[in-house]
Amino acid sequence: MLVLLLLHLVAALLAPVLVRWWGRQAFLALALVPAAAFAWTLAQLSAVLDGREVSETVEWIPALDLQIALRLDALALLFAAVVTGVGALVLLYCARYFAPDEEGTGRFAGTLTAFAGSMLGLVVADDLLLLYVFWELTTVFSFLLIGGAGGRLAARRAATQALVLTTAGGLAMLVGLIMVGQASGSFLLSEVVADPGSGTVMTAGTVLVLMGAITKSAMVPFHFWLPAAMEAPTPVSAYLHAAAMVKAGIYLVARLAPGLADVPGWRPLVLGLGVATMLVGGYRALRQTDLKLLLAFGTVSQLGFLMTLVGGGSRELAAAGVTMTLAHALFKSTLFLTVGVVDHATGTRDLRRLSGLGRRLPVLAAVGCLAAASMAGLPPLLGFVGKEAAFTALWDGGLPDRTAATVVLVGLVVGSALTAAYTARFVWGAFARKPDCADTEVAHAPEPLFLAAPVVLATAGLLAGPFSPLLAPLVAEYAETVPFGLPEVEDLALWHGWKPALALSLLTVLAGGALFAVRARVSRTQRRLAVGASADEGYWNVIQGLDRLSVLVTGTTQRGSLPAYLGTILVVVLALPGTVLLTRAPWPGEWRAWDTPVQAMVGVVVVTAAALSLRIRQRLSAVLVVGVTGYGTAVLFALQGAPDLALTQFLVETLTLVVFVLVLRKLPKDIGERHRPRERAVRGVIAVAVGAFMGAVGAVALGARTATPVSADYPEEAYDFGGGKNIVNVTLVDIRAWDTLGEISLLVVAATGVASLVFLRSRTGGVDRAERTRLTEVDRPSWLAAGATMDPARRSVVLEVITRILFHTILVFSVYLLFSGHNDPGGGFAGGLVAGLALVLRYLAGGRYELGEAAPVAPGVLLGAGLLFAGGTGVGGLVLGAEVLQTAILETTLPVLGDVKLVTSLFFDMGVYLIVVGLVLDVLRSLGAELDRQEDEDDPIELNEGEMVVR
Amino acid sequence: MIEAPDLDYAALAPLLFLFGAACIGVLVEAFAPREVRHPAQVALALVGTVGGLVSAVLLAAGRDLTGAEADVTAGSALAVDGAGVFLQATIAGLGALSVLLFAERGLDPARSSFVASAAVPAGSVRDRELLTAHRVQTEVYPLATFAIGGMMLFVAANDLLVMFIALEVLSLPLYLISGLARRRRLLSQEAAVKYFLLGAFASAFFLYGLALVYGAVGSVRLSTISEAVATDGGDVLLVLGLALLLVGLMFKASVAPFHTWTPDVYQGAPTPVTAFMAACTKVAAFGAILRLLYVAFGTDEWTWRPLVYGIAIVSMIVGAVLGLTQTDLKRMLAYSSIAHAGFLLTGVIGFDATGDSPGLSATLFYLLAYGLTTLGAFAVLTMVRDGDGEATHLSSWAGLARRSPVLAAVMTLFLLALAGIPLTSGFTGKFAVFRAAIDDGAWPLAVVALLTSAVAAFFYLRVVVLMYFSEPAGSTGSGAVTEGPTVGVPGLPTTIVLAVTAAATVVLGVVPGSVLDLAGEAARFVG
Repeated sequence: MLVLLLLHLVAALLAPVLVRWWGRQAFLALALVPAAAFAWTLAQLSAVLDGREVSETVEWIPALDLQIALRLDALALLFAAVVTGVGALVLLYCARYFAPDEEGTGRFAGTLTAFAGSMLGLVVADDLLLLYVFWELTTVFSFLLIGGAGGRLAARRAATQALVLTTAGGLAMLVGLIMVGQASGSFLLSEVVADPGSGTVMTAGTVLVLMGAITKSAMVPFHFWLPAAMEAPTPVSAYLHAAAMVKAGIYLVARLAPGLADVPGWRPLVLGLGVATMLVGGYRALRQTDLKLLLAFGTVSQLGFLMTLVGGGSRELAAAGVTMTLAHALFKSTLFLTVGVVDHATGTRDLRRLSGLGRRLPVLAAVGCLAAASMAGLPPLLGFVGKEAAFTALWDGGLPDRTAATVVLVGLVVGSALTAAYTARFVWGAFARKPDCADTEVAHAPEPLFLAAPVVLATAGLLAGPFSPLLAPLVAEYAETVPFGLPEVEDLALWHGWKPALALSLLTVLAGGALFAVRARVSRTQRRLAVGASADEGYWNVIQGLDRLSVLVTGTTQRGSLPAYLGTILVVVLALPGTVLLTRAPWPGEWRAWDTPVQAMVGVVVVTAAALSLRIRQRLSAVLVVGVTGYGTAVLFALQGAPDLALTQFLVETLTLVVFVLVLRKLPKDIGERHRPRERAVRGVIAVAVGAFMGAVGAVALGARTATPVSADYPEEAYDFGGGKNIVNVTLVDIRAWDTLGEISLLVVAATGVASLVFLRSRTGGVDRAERTRLTEVDRPSWLAAGATMDPARRSVVLEVITRILFHTILVFSVYLLFSGHNDPGGGFAGGLVAGLALVLRYLAGGRYELGEAAPVAPGVLLGAGLLFAGGTGVGGLVLGAEVLQTAILETTLPVLGDVKLVTSLFFDMGVYLIVVGLVLDVLRSLGAELDRQEDEDDPIELNEGEMVVR
Repeated sequence: MIEAPDLDYAALAPLLFLFGAACIGVLVEAFAPREVRHPAQVALALVGTVGGLVSAVLLAAGRDLTGAEADVTAGSALAVDGAGVFLQATIAGLGALSVLLFAERGLDPARSSFVASAAVPAGSVRDRELLTAHRVQTEVYPLATFAIGGMMLFVAANDLLVMFIALEVLSLPLYLISGLARRRRLLSQEAAVKYFLLGAFASAFFLYGLALVYGAVGSVRLSTISEAVATDGGDVLLVLGLALLLVGLMFKASVAPFHTWTPDVYQGAPTPVTAFMAACTKVAAFGAILRLLYVAFGTDEWTWRPLVYGIAIVSMIVGAVLGLTQTDLKRMLAYSSIAHAGFLLTGVIGFDATGDSPGLSATLFYLLAYGLTTLGAFAVLTMVRDGDGEATHLSSWAGLARRSPVLAAVMTLFLLALAGIPLTSGFTGKFAVFRAAIDDGAWPLAVVALLTSAVAAFFYLRVVVLMYFSEPAGSTGSGAVTEGPTVGVPGLPTTIVLAVTAAATVVLGVVPGSVLDLAGEAARFVG
């Protein structure tokens, strides 16, 4: 079997090449592949009838328990014969259906062959998952076949619709199959059917599997894709929509029914939908005017019929079901192919425009009538045999529930009457001469080869009726696997004698004839009863609704707005961990509002400033207000008894403000974006809530502390080992000196990064020294070295004077902070910031040349020197035999100065100092001086020698 | 006195290759003349990534990493176990392919998808001059190498602090290189800024969570956390910490509702970078999620399981439904990545505290399969171009099969794989993770996953329909033919990438047995 499947694959891959070589004759060669499979299948007949199974197993993916398990039993043989036989004939038919040089024939041939292969695989697969794989393959290939060349929108829509529905059903089926497999403890179909599991999982799994079968076999309410798929070329309709793909659902139900029919939910679902589908399909078929659509609705109806039979879960119904399946495959393919010939010959399929074809194409008409007779269930055709068997079974009570059997029987009889009616309509529409219509011209008569396939199929249907007893052993072989059944089994036969079933058959034919006779009135009634809503529209509404929902959600959540994105994340954080916090957190036992009322005042100021920052439109004011919150925090530090922290916080806050101002010069004064009040309110709520959340987490974390803080030993250790009384500073330069080393390296990197974004060519621009000559030209007195280079309108004498007086004092102060930091508030970081602020003052008072005069050194040098100092201290310690960054305390008495205590970590602190100064200088250079220069010289970039900018 | 930790150099070799190549790359950037930089950097990055791949494979081959020889090294900061090495090899391999995409010189007329000089303001005179210059900001290569190294560190991190550092090492270069597109630079820079700002928040959450966990347990080592969790699982600090850690990690893995950045960044970043992010970052982030949940919090399954369960559903639905309306292919693939993150979480759910976790091996396989497929899909995107760069709008892809049947066929393969159609790697992966979830009793989750798969299949297949069944873009009904997009002739690098990814997609779909076995064997974390 595997060989046959591979043969199909190879043929499918070769098909485009063959078509290129031989044109449409290639189909003849391709038809040999399914024909070979057909022959092989029939050759297994005797083995299967003897009760032996033909099976092959190849391990495929052991890790997932996937194996290629193929098995041919009676049911599989029957379906395989249909699939391969009809497949071969349809390919034969294609050799004349397509014009000799039609575009896309190669692809079509390949896809059709591949489809035939996957269909064969589907019916012989014994592994649940392998079955699913083939199932999905048929979906994909049918999608390609229905879409065809795809020039037309309708074909594309139909193809997509069929694909979406059957894929969705297929995926539901996959879950179902896995669940059924899990519940039954085996993934082999044969074992699952023999020994199905039970319980909720089994029930849910079974329903999901049925979903797959229902969508694939176009049951109500998913029946609408099948008529829409009639956009496909006729051979596709004949094969996929009569013999093969739609039968996949029937096959699956037939395969599982022996084991799963007693699972709760199976019978109501299968029988209910089956009967409903039969009635809906038959009713709709009555008012179609396109022959193909008429057949399509007829197929829907028949599929409902078949589903009812094979899903009923009793021996007699199962036998009737498979017989009927065979009959349906034979007559429906024939009819589709017939319509194809009609279409080909006359150019139309509209039964209102066809007239008198029966005379002009007598062979075709004979074939069509034979098939139609089988469809209507007239003796002696196979359709009659199947229907007869079904009626008999139900009449005798072929279902566990007698009432259900009666209801189903009534439904089937009505459905069969409708079938007879639309069959008559078909025959009349296709072949009869209509009085009010001129005879249709036959453009080109069909060739014998074109007619071969329908003729063979119709003949098979004719012969199978009288010879149906020959079929009986095969059917019985399958039917016997169904546990439920009547004690006495009636074999298939054309003539059972005068039984109630015969009367029912007669009734259906008569009723059908009557319906056809009053067709004008029927169609008027139908038009009056037509309801606005159909399942098809429902589908499109769902799809459109999904689309609209998607647009709506995208429009509201994915606008590219950063606050919205952040808001989403924050809301989730609030919703999940926030809930945990609210519901489960152990809150600290004691709450104290404040230690001194001053804290409360500071708190009020900070909160007010934060609230104001939301309202203020001007960037600068907003930044200042944000600064206030920082200063407030610094005050809190001071009140808490941490002067060193407070000092640092003040300095950092000031420097941040300066940097902000430098940047804000380049931005518009006002924040341009306005938000609606509601939007602002939402953001405010989220912001406050997140702030509260973070604060609460902090409180809980602090409250949950059980261990002694590491800092408990710090005061003592700081003095004993670090030689300093300022714990913060000693921590920085000694206890956690490694951290500090890392952080100052980071500062260097950050400074370099900022600078390199502004200076494109070199690390930093040259130092802007004021040229001597230029300064002497200006003979105004100046307080500052390069103050004269500023635009007079921007100079401020007061500022210049103050700078002149304060600059050196501040520098000295900064050095004092550096040296005193070990015992008093201060340290390298604070000192460096103070020195930096002094430079800021010079820059603000005197402009970029003044900065160059104040610090005629490249910031990179300062940064590098600082890092060298700090790192050198560590290496020095190592060289002297101590640990890296270990502090040594040298005490000595010097003349004049008195007792001097030198702690080596001071050198480390100097490194920090230098780096901070370098950082500030870098910021001033790049965001201050360089931007000034670009503005002054109207030159966005520094040019290399000889480089030109085209303006 | 701090003892120097023992270093197991063989186990560190994959990381050393990457970080070594990256550091040398920085030096090359500083000292090599501009003409030789590009070839040198490409060669270096390839040596690093391929070296990382080979050394990881050798490491796995030489030791029994799933049993006795699974170990920790570098002062127990790094885990050397089957899953870690599998993920490292995956990342290195996908990284090597991404580097090849970066190195493509044949598609863009300006010979690279990366900007000539990133610091030149977009739209300035100088920028316009440089638009057609053959110069490239070659820092991309060392940056990407650092990111790959960071990812490989991320999946092997055995303590939260190393994990955080790895997170930053992988994130920072990504922020940068997503802003380096040569065309549509403002969009690219905007993407970089968004990614950076939101990423900074995510990192902050991770760090906060880390601090809380440390506060609760007193250690950042995963095994210690696991022990503490076993005795004291309900501790609120621990739960809060876990939640915040997950926020940080889920952000990186672009799991909804932390996905908001994904479409914008995927669209704005240069396509090779998008491919890199979609493939490698996803693997790395899920590697870390798996390790965190299975190793550190494995003894406390029931705390995170409902959370992951819910997030998986949200992610699948958001990805699939929002993907429906996308008209830009890059955005569409971004939503697809969100949906796939949900599918991956389905596998994560398949955790079994007793040891053998089908979810782990399934997720490992899924990551490999998805990474290769998505990388290939993005590689195809780089080839369809119009005058303004890549033509990623859906309408430009109409009728592509007629212009370039091979390209359309390859893209179809990738899309089918993403949709999870049988005989492609996507099916095997999906099947494996869903199976794991169902094994664990989470079949309602699998049902949701399949329904969303069906919705997602709709938008993948829509592209297929468009390529095959529509009139080519540019030609109108009246017969007037305007200029449609062209399909570029790929150079050797892109060709290699397409060949490898397409072959892998087929092989992992048809005969995935050996790779699945490998993932199954590798699926062990050292505790």
